[in-house]
Amino acid sequence: MDQTTTFGLNLSQIPLMCDNTSAISLTKNHIQHSRTKDIEIRNHFIRDHVSKGDCVIQFVNFENQLTDLFTKPLNKERFNFLRNELGIIDLKNIK
Amino acid sequence: MENCKEAATPIATGCYLDNDEKGVKVYKQNIEDSGSLLYLTASRPDIMFSVCLCARYQASPRETHYMAAKRILKYLKGTIDVGLWYLSVVSLNLIGYSHSHLVGCKIDRKSTNGTCPLLGSSLISWHSKKQACVALSTVEAKYIVVGSCCAQSSWIKQQLSV
Repeated sequence: MDQTTTFGLNLSQIPLMCDNTSAISLTKNHIQHSRTKDIEIRNHFIRDHVSKGDCVIQFVNFENQLTDLFTKPLNKERFNFLRNELGIIDLKNIK
Repeated sequence: MENCKEAATPIATGCYLDNDEKGVKVYKQNIEDSGSLLYLTASRPDIMFSVCLCARYQASPRETHYMAAKRILKYLKGTIDVGLWYLSVVSLNLIGYSHSHLVGCKIDRKSTNGTCPLLGSSLISWHSKKQACVALSTVEAKYIVVGSCCAQSSWIKQQLSV
């Protein structure tokens, strides 16, 4: 018995959050068109996994996009909001 | 730096760093702490982006890069008690978040990737990196980052199913 069954983990379809519907459509639709012909073949890795059912791409609002913190400089409010959402918490606030 | 003011964020909102070849050169002993900051990103994901941005210019650091590194230290001074918090009772569902900032680097017009797979509500892996190729559209940049998030999630899945 492996760890996944012991802890009741279901890792068959991992949800991956993306905030761009066109990018989500690209992962599902295996057509070659002029806008995607410059994407390197190795970046089409995701298509295989989506077709095999290893992961499911889901849409997420920009507001709930937690990874914003790792890609650009943010203002104080947004930065603190995302920091809390990711579970990076000030020990002074924990009672 | 002991008596410096605290900063609310590790990097200013409109901060733009480039090679700054005309800037005043800073000698190595001043910025020897950048290696320590990279080490700190192992437990403080909130400074990940700013540290990685500063680390790109370490080949020939200038005054502007030094100021950006000092800003991170100012932020850290105000957030010494901040850390990752893992709850004991949470569901263990793996969710991958991915995002990319189109043309994050204006020198070579490459986008910035960011991914963070969460196990339940706990952050277990994080990544901030400049893309290897130039993306022509937002769709392309996001498509690439979803792929890299999928790779990371597959690896975690493999680790968990041993």
